[in-house]
Amino acid sequence: MGFGDLKSPAGLRVLNDYLADKSYIEGYVPSQADIAVFEAIAAPPPAELFHALRWYNHIKSYEKQKASLPGVKKALAKYGPADVEDTTGAATDSKDDDDIDLFGSDDEEESEEAKKLREERLAQYESKKSKKPAVVAKSSILLDVKPWDDETDMAKLEECVRSIQADGLVWGSSKLVPVGYGIKKLQIQCVVEDDKVGTDMLEERITAFEDYVQSMDVAAFNKI
Amino acid sequence: DAEELTLLERWLGLPKGNKYGVQGERKVPVLQTNNGPGLTGLMTIAAHLVKQAKKDQLLGSTAEEKAVVQQWLEYRVTRVDGGSSKEDTRVILKDLNMHLEDKVYLAGNVFTLADILMYYGLHHIMVDLTVQEKEKYLNVSRWFNHIQHYPGVRQHLSNVVFIKNRLYTNVH
Repeated sequence: MGFGDLKSPAGLRVLNDYLADKSYIEGYVPSQADIAVFEAIAAPPPAELFHALRWYNHIKSYEKQKASLPGVKKALAKYGPADVEDTTGAATDSKDDDDIDLFGSDDEEESEEAKKLREERLAQYESKKSKKPAVVAKSSILLDVKPWDDETDMAKLEECVRSIQADGLVWGSSKLVPVGYGIKKLQIQCVVEDDKVGTDMLEERITAFEDYVQSMDVAAFNKI
Repeated sequence: DAEELTLLERWLGLPKGNKYGVQGERKVPVLQTNNGPGLTGLMTIAAHLVKQAKKDQLLGSTAEEKAVVQQWLEYRVTRVDGGSSKEDTRVILKDLNMHLEDKVYLAGNVFTLADILMYYGLHHIMVDLTVQEKEKYLNVSRWFNHIQHYPGVRQHLSNVVFIKNRLYTNVH
């Protein structure tokens, strides 16, 4: 969840898309969720992001009442579309239903001070939690890359494969394994981040080297 | 619609007891009053009820807001209730969609009687829209979905569903 970096145009675009069919960040009334996101934005969104601008102006009109809006301010990563990668560094939770109606049943009798103190403590806790390094899902994949024949330059083939660069992809060790008739296949290890790199992508890019590569198979796939 | 006025009454928290009738071919609602011929006209009765419930802010607070509320109430009665062809509907939705692009409520940042009556007036139209149409008039859909969730407004009217994930993202 989260909108990405709300101080960047990309983040604002995510916010804009999210607000196209919503009046508020959460539920159907203004809440601390809106305040949390509002405070993360540096300036009014540009005119072309008109959903975000509409929401911004609307929330601004609640400026004076912001402390009394329902709900509890959470870390930015907790709001927003469920499928956006969280770049604020908080640990990735299981996917929340992003339609939760979050009117905290705030105790009317709670004094202003107690409430402020609680919210402060919560904010501190959230920021501490968000400093923990993200746990990223990785896998170790063993690929078999087969050449056309025994005349194929395996060193070149290996070079081609290793030239494939991607965010979340790290090449490991490799060896040549004979398969018969003088043909050797390249067995190469790699470690990938599951969210970023998939075997289809790898297959596509490896088999793109048509001059050298006849085919590619996944020999082994282990989660780390 | 007399029924609509009953819904409004309930939302305003007014005690029951007002008697409504209809007048003429166009079924203009009439509120029977104790002394006199009765109040005629949806907008008029609605505004009267709001004042009875002492919720005048629903008619707008500033002069400008009040004017905007009146504008949309008039629109509701003349355009939404008056016209009923496919073409009329299209124009209405287009007008509203443009107006709501930068506003959360019809009057801007505050919920008013205009939103309530426009919601009731549009309900039968929204109920029949296709998914594609709902996305085309995205701002109207957003506003309608918001109003139908506003505490106490929807009552027994059916909930119009707006799916969250946009299917036709190249229509802006």
